[in-house]
Amino acid sequence: MDAAVATEALKLRRSPVARTAWLAVVLGAPALSAGFIAVARAGGDGQLAVKVAAMLPDMGWIGYLGMIGQISTVAMLLAGGIVTAWCFGREFADGTVVGLFAIAVSRRRLAAAKFAVMLGWSLSACGATVLLGVAVGLLLGLGPLGSDALGGVAMDLVAAMLMALLALPLAWVASARRGYLPAVGALLLVVIVTQLVTVVGAGAWFPYAAPGLWVGMGGAESAAAVGPVQLLLAIPVCAAGIWATTAWWARAQLT
Amino acid sequence: MSASPSTVQVIEARGLTRSFGDDRAVDRADLAVAAGQIHALVGLNGAGKTTLMKLLLDMLRPSSGSGWLLGDPVDGAGAAVWSRVGHLIETPFGYPELTVTENVVLAARLQGLDRPSARRESLLIVGELALDRWADRRSRVLSLGNRQRLGLACALVHEPQVLILDEPTNGLDPKGVLELRRLLLSRAHGAGVGILVSSHHLDEVARIADRITVMHRGRVVGVLDPDGVDLERRFFDMVYAAEQEGSWTQPSQPRP
Repeated sequence: MDAAVATEALKLRRSPVARTAWLAVVLGAPALSAGFIAVARAGGDGQLAVKVAAMLPDMGWIGYLGMIGQISTVAMLLAGGIVTAWCFGREFADGTVVGLFAIAVSRRRLAAAKFAVMLGWSLSACGATVLLGVAVGLLLGLGPLGSDALGGVAMDLVAAMLMALLALPLAWVASARRGYLPAVGALLLVVIVTQLVTVVGAGAWFPYAAPGLWVGMGGAESAAAVGPVQLLLAIPVCAAGIWATTAWWARAQLT
Repeated sequence: MSASPSTVQVIEARGLTRSFGDDRAVDRADLAVAAGQIHALVGLNGAGKTTLMKLLLDMLRPSSGSGWLLGDPVDGAGAAVWSRVGHLIETPFGYPELTVTENVVLAARLQGLDRPSARRESLLIVGELALDRWADRRSRVLSLGNRQRLGLACALVHEPQVLILDEPTNGLDPKGVLELRRLLLSRAHGAGVGILVSSHHLDEVARIADRITVMHRGRVVGVLDPDGVDLERRFFDMVYAAEQEGSWTQPSQPRP
């Protein structure tokens, strides 16, 4: 394995932040979704039951997977954003960035390696969430997975990965501001702006809102307004963030 | 203690200048370190020693002037140069979540060693710097002195031809200071490594340096003979004279 990727992979494997965030996403989305299904099944006139019934289009795979998709899109942005902020920002906060200068591996390559391991982390989190979600769904007795349900599984995976990609540009904030806290602040700002844009009805064209709306966060009508073009806006946003970050690291100074 | 270093310059500063706003942290600094030479850089806090070292390691870009390592310009230097350079500047290298051995192996791999060589060299340098006892412990549990030893291990593991060390005895106990002295002397006089080291400890500097350059307010203000008497007195005389002069003149030709 490339020395830079091996280095970054080891650091991420040992990171309590990365481990905790991974578990929060992978366990949280299926657990919460299963909880909602259980509440809906119990029925009744309680506040929670009424709210859950309104959120779930049905109590089968479609409703359950839709809930997983909605929760995991939010979770992947938050978790992926925090881990990305840590991955890049900790070098400044911990003072370890000095050791990344004047070495045989270029800083551009190191930054690229950080993105490579973050993509691996994100893919494993999204994949594990969906797999565990399916396992929990089978345990809930939702029945065999039909073609509609498999389509729901694929949507959840794609939506979560798109949010993971959208978290990566936070690396530029963590690098340029030399710490993980500014990037966490930027993440909160993104979440707030996404909510505002969605409320005013422009969510389909806002890259950070589109995946969540697509999996049902705003209802069926909002979901229908999101197509491949809107979803794929995540790609150039991610690419711009990666380019800006690697360019920053290539020219960085220890001022 | 003085050896006969080669005349090949492995570290050179040619008129290096770096300003931060109105503050000229390094001002037209000229310095040269030959292969096999231990060149000490001394000065008061804020004299510009660390900034000069950062300029030589491309951690900062100069406002003017140039730095040279192993005959190549620092600006645009690639793996071929950096793989032969070791450094310890400010925070010693070491990730708290990794063990001592993992940190040293990581440093070796980032300097171009393959995995088996990195593993082999790491075991050797961990032993040489008396870190065996903590080899498999996470570096977060290390004392300040042992974190400094870890940083030194990471700077030395790939057997560089050039070493740039900023206050390497920070946090070291007397035994550690002796071990570092032995190590630097053997690397320089035995293996021909060119070493630039900054220190506040003039008595230690006198024991190991072949040449001592004095910096004050960002400028090179003189050269001291490490073999002369009362080094501390001569250092303060030089700094005081430089302060009194106000306009900073270049030192006289260094002794051969």
